[in-house]
Amino acid sequence: MAKNDLTTRNLMLDSLKQYAKNRISHEFIREHDAKNEIPLDILKEMYDHDVLGVHLLLIPEEYGGLGGQTTEIYRVCEQLARIDLGIATGVFATFLGSDPINVGGTPEQKAKWFQKIAHENKLVAYGATEADAGSDLVSLRTRADRVEKDGKIVGYKITGSKMWISNGGVADIYTVLALAPGGPSWFIVEKGTPGFTQDAHEDKHGIRLSNTAGLAFDEVYVPAENLIGLEEGKGFLQAQAVFGYTRLMVAAFGLGGGEEAVETALIYAQQRIQAGGPLAQKQGFMLKLITPHYVRFEAARAYIDWTAKQLEVNNHGLATEGAIAKLYATESGNKAAEDAIQAMGGFGYTKEFAVEKIKRDVKITCIYEGTSEVLEMTIFRGRWQEHLKTRGQYYIKQAEEFEAIHAQHPDVGADSVALGFRALARVLEDCRAQKLTRHQYITFMLGDLISEAEVAAVFARECAEGRVTEGSRFDLNTLKIMSRVNARLSAFKIATEGMKLILGVGAASAQDLSAGVNLVGIEEKMTGLIEDEDLVSAKLREIFKA
Amino acid sequence: MNIIVCIKQVPDSTQVKVDPKTGTLIRAGVPSILNPYDHYALEKALAIKAKTGAKVTVLSMGPNQAVAVLRLALALGADEGVLLADRAFAGSDTWATSYALATAIKKIGQYDLILCGQMAIDGDTAQTGPGIAYHLGIPQITFCDSVDSDGQHAVVKKLIEGGHQIMQAELPVLITMTMPVDYVAKYPSFLAAHRAQDKQISIWTAAQVGADTHKVGLEGSPTRVSRIFPPPARAKGEMISGSAEEMAAKFVEILKKESFVK
Repeated sequence: MAKNDLTTRNLMLDSLKQYAKNRISHEFIREHDAKNEIPLDILKEMYDHDVLGVHLLLIPEEYGGLGGQTTEIYRVCEQLARIDLGIATGVFATFLGSDPINVGGTPEQKAKWFQKIAHENKLVAYGATEADAGSDLVSLRTRADRVEKDGKIVGYKITGSKMWISNGGVADIYTVLALAPGGPSWFIVEKGTPGFTQDAHEDKHGIRLSNTAGLAFDEVYVPAENLIGLEEGKGFLQAQAVFGYTRLMVAAFGLGGGEEAVETALIYAQQRIQAGGPLAQKQGFMLKLITPHYVRFEAARAYIDWTAKQLEVNNHGLATEGAIAKLYATESGNKAAEDAIQAMGGFGYTKEFAVEKIKRDVKITCIYEGTSEVLEMTIFRGRWQEHLKTRGQYYIKQAEEFEAIHAQHPDVGADSVALGFRALARVLEDCRAQKLTRHQYITFMLGDLISEAEVAAVFARECAEGRVTEGSRFDLNTLKIMSRVNARLSAFKIATEGMKLILGVGAASAQDLSAGVNLVGIEEKMTGLIEDEDLVSAKLREIFKA
Repeated sequence: MNIIVCIKQVPDSTQVKVDPKTGTLIRAGVPSILNPYDHYALEKALAIKAKTGAKVTVLSMGPNQAVAVLRLALALGADEGVLLADRAFAGSDTWATSYALATAIKKIGQYDLILCGQMAIDGDTAQTGPGIAYHLGIPQITFCDSVDSDGQHAVVKKLIEGGHQIMQAELPVLITMTMPVDYVAKYPSFLAAHRAQDKQISIWTAAQVGADTHKVGLEGSPTRVSRIFPPPARAKGEMISGSAEEMAAKFVEILKKESFVK
């Protein structure tokens, strides 16, 4: 069978939307949110092959799945997040839990476990996190001791505990990271194995429709064939191989959650009459609380989609790009949900409307699969190496590329992208020359500025090449306006924040630095910014009618 | 047995607004869907297929992106799709459209039962189905909410004022379908959507179906739309509350005030 084409992807998304419309009402979600309860029937129904069979996307075709590509999986993640991030997390846990098998499993292991997951509709959980091992998996404590018989390893006894495991209390199959004598390794543990128990479900701030529980292993025996890849010590590599990919999925969660919140607020604002007209007609309301979020959503969508297409070619890796996508999209989604409450005033603060719940839910996307701070560090490290290797030319080269794009396509903000890159190169170079990266805070902030620059660049290039990102509701012309807005704001942020960091440790003259990052040049590009934002607002009012 | 279901891609009317100044539909950013009446007709055809093993062909006319609704129909269980796509068809009214679809049906050749939605939600004319029957010279029954067939006859429940009329017809016959108020459209599973990629969709031009180009497009369309406008907004009603006696008294008072009674 062929890979899924765009029409098929859209068909799947329509089915998912319709299913949610018919089966998952706001009242239903609200009730489960209040009770802190996972709607297990809904998850099982979503796995039913005749209803949706959403989990089949992650299973390769040769094992009875759909062999979903990164693009359709992220788009399904975005749509799931628009429905409910708790339910989305429950589905995602099965995706994530299956990944070690996908990456490291032998053909026999894949055949056995994927058939089970595909045809018996098993829920899966991914067991990596421990009390002292979150993003820093090196401090892993759970042990897997060899059990030998006649000098041959026949199995392992797993002892230890895991915490904050999504689907922890409800999964049928668990992939568990434990320290074997040969190093960290993934094991498959089935529910009901003697000595394996699950703790009570956590009482969380948000995603309350997802089950989160600790796991306890007391000399839990698993046969040697449950060691993924049949080789000890491959655990970290197998975990890291999919970070680019899994973080992209969480990026889509941040995007979907944010979009749902702001869209709810915008549709409300089209009807809410204050001081003689609908709120959505008021410039201050739109430019402060609504329009900037749509600009960032479309920038995030372009970046996520671009990274997904790269991953489809490269299969694995792209850890820096995955981190950029997640940091940018989830932080944007989180801020957007916050403003959606503000935009709806008192209504937004009540449980009658979904935005209050979305705000609680979307916060997790800035935490799980790598906190924003861990991502900032990852991004910094990835690109710092490039900066050093190229003797500071890494972003200069990209600035030149965008100056060339601007000459051909003057309407996408490529000039500001180039200015942002040049400012970033200067900031990085100052940090190198003065050894400022000894300040951990500076490394975090640089990670953030790098993500701003790179997302703005991809968005502008996609627009220059005439591509409307799939799933976007805007036409190319509107996306170009959005890209101009985004590129200007991102260049300004890079220059001013970068200056703040360097001046903050007292290592430059403000005047020299200001000239070095070309602050005036960046500011001059602000001409027409508000006009562009007003154009975006008008388009939003046209598309998101009450 | 061969069933042909005529389907149309339409803007989701629940999301379409009329521009009060120009009277035209604002379609920007509005998603396209399968016309709900056609969706229902298709499900009825698939139910007959399940019973009799009939072959179900779906036929649509429209731009290339209308392939999306054919694919949806194939994912739901139809066997083959045909799209009539040609610039020559652009601007066709219901008369020209029904002529074009009839030529395509003749090219498909074998048909016993033709199902159409009662009307498309973007035009609400309910003329295309009857037009096809006319061009093919076959009988038609309109406004049915149920249809069944044993391969020899079609038995339908036609919606009439105050009830249903149950009718039986010899094949071939064309039926237009309305839908029950509580109808919830079925959508395919991910697996069915994936598998539909392997089913055949033929794209035919006017020349390929032998359509006379003078009879399609703007030239072949006698309809002229003089104006489209939203109906004027009605004044808000007034609710009367209180005991039965109080409400009756208030009601009579209003009738007098508005000079309905003296």
